[in-house]
Amino acid sequence: MELAAESVSVRFGGLVANDDISLSIASGEVLGLIGPNGAGKTTLVNILSGFQRPHSGAIRLAGTDMTHRKPGAFARAGIVRSFQAVRLFRRLTVSENIEVGLVGRGLSRGEARRQAFAMLSEFDLGHRAAQPASALSYGEERRVGLVRALALEPRFLLLDEPAAGLAAMEAEELKRAILSIRDNRGCGVLVIEHNMALVMSLCDRIHVLGGGKTIAAGRPEEIRRNPAVRTAYLGSTAA
Amino acid sequence: MATAPTSPETAASRWFPLVVLVLVVLVLAGAAEFAPTVVQRRITQGLINLVAVVGLYVFVGNSGVLSFGNVAFMAIGAYVSALLTMPAAAKGVFLPDLPAFLANAEWPALGGALAGGAAAALVGLVAGFPLMRLSGISASIATFAILVVTYVVLGNWTSITGGQNSLMGLPIYVGLWTAAGWAVVAIVVAFLHQESRSGLLLRASREDEVAAAASGVHMVSHRLAAFVVSAFLSGIAGVLLAHFLGAVRVETFYLDLTFLIIAMLVIGGMRSLTGAVAGAIVITLLTELMRQAEVGVTVGATTIAAPGGLGDAVLALLMLLIILFRPDGIAGGREVSRPFRPAIAMPENQHRKAQ
Repeated sequence: MELAAESVSVRFGGLVANDDISLSIASGEVLGLIGPNGAGKTTLVNILSGFQRPHSGAIRLAGTDMTHRKPGAFARAGIVRSFQAVRLFRRLTVSENIEVGLVGRGLSRGEARRQAFAMLSEFDLGHRAAQPASALSYGEERRVGLVRALALEPRFLLLDEPAAGLAAMEAEELKRAILSIRDNRGCGVLVIEHNMALVMSLCDRIHVLGGGKTIAAGRPEEIRRNPAVRTAYLGSTAA
Repeated sequence: MATAPTSPETAASRWFPLVVLVLVVLVLAGAAEFAPTVVQRRITQGLINLVAVVGLYVFVGNSGVLSFGNVAFMAIGAYVSALLTMPAAAKGVFLPDLPAFLANAEWPALGGALAGGAAAALVGLVAGFPLMRLSGISASIATFAILVVTYVVLGNWTSITGGQNSLMGLPIYVGLWTAAGWAVVAIVVAFLHQESRSGLLLRASREDEVAAAASGVHMVSHRLAAFVVSAFLSGIAGVLLAHFLGAVRVETFYLDLTFLIIAMLVIGGMRSLTGAVAGAIVITLLTELMRQAEVGVTVGATTIAAPGGLGDAVLALLMLLIILFRPDGIAGGREVSRPFRPAIAMPENQHRKAQ
């Protein structure tokens, strides 16, 4: 199965945030989306998750046109996103944060409560289940955000800077979690990330944006060697 | 660490708030049995207000949108029940122009009450359909419009409602235990709603609309469901008030009552059912104390009394203090919970020790 953006463009007033961008994510692969600030990465994730309609171009999920659907319809079709800020339901309990996705898929409250606890325990968060989400540490918040996304049984997972603010060890844990999601659940994962070491070791393919346009796309080693990418983004640090 | 899927929250602790709140209502009503008639009537009125506050809570608490319109649903419930249950002879006097099916209707009390609630729910459904798409202050103003429109229509539809005049001669069947019974029903309905799937999804959208949409939550339909349940309970509260007073007047169901019900919910805490119940009871008891203070104590030839209007002033002051210093109200946005929680499932305890 494939989630694809086909020649999408978006303008905000005079600013062209996405200019004729095409990319696709297949099930079971991790695609990195990188580029300097203002390159249009989050806008593209907004388009791929239904939060922003493109002015031209189309979004297709396994060939089905999703372009004019609402965010809820994207989520129900299995396209699940996270946010730069985690945006947990802060005054609900940690368990309820997960149950939202589960009951939305048709589980009863009782079943959802049991499954939420099992999923939280899998990510070492079982002891937090009954506490309000506002009581979590930053790292825990990020993990709960990931579990909440998984509760929707995603076919495609779009993660907007999941490692932002994490310590090196936590980022390594996150990487293992993402790879296990890819391998065990067969998800296609798109990751926006600034941590280059993480991107290079995590992603199967990388798509580079700059100024709203595609600069390059390919395997990590190709991207690392691409002179246009080095100039536009990696700059002197990669030289 | 993978643990057996043992729920950390037992069924007993989930139902605990419901049991406590129902017991509180029953104890309050039981205690009022031994009070003087005046106090008993105040408690009865307090329990009717409790139904109205809980009705308001179902929408406001779960959606996070403040509604000024629920007193309109009380008015609709009151008038529908009045028209269906008043003796035909009384209707002949006050409402000579009623259509025949209403003029001759003499429904039993319960039928009239349920019809009143259902009529309010139906109006809630029709009005809510376009309004539930709005959020924040625009949604609140739209609900205020429901109140104003209902007030104007009821006050001028003379052939059906008697216009600005009072409708009298309603069967007076609401006493202490009828009010307590409906208060229990309202609490149970509100609790079941908040524990339902729809209630949970609505609270998620209250916390973060965008994140809820990303989780596939269709906010509008869950808001509408809560609005309809809320309108039904408010309608019932109106029915109870009408058949407690024995008369309905459109003026009863306007700004004063709206302010009182909202004040009760805000002071109790609008994000939990416990808060709604606590607010209704605390304010009822407080206003009764103030009323007695205004009546005063007579010692010999002198009467020491608080100045008139003290009750309203104290209520306004209390609301201000709560908003300033405890915005989540008396209950702090939480449900009443068990004082001694049983130890949670074994694997969890081991897990905790291991950390």
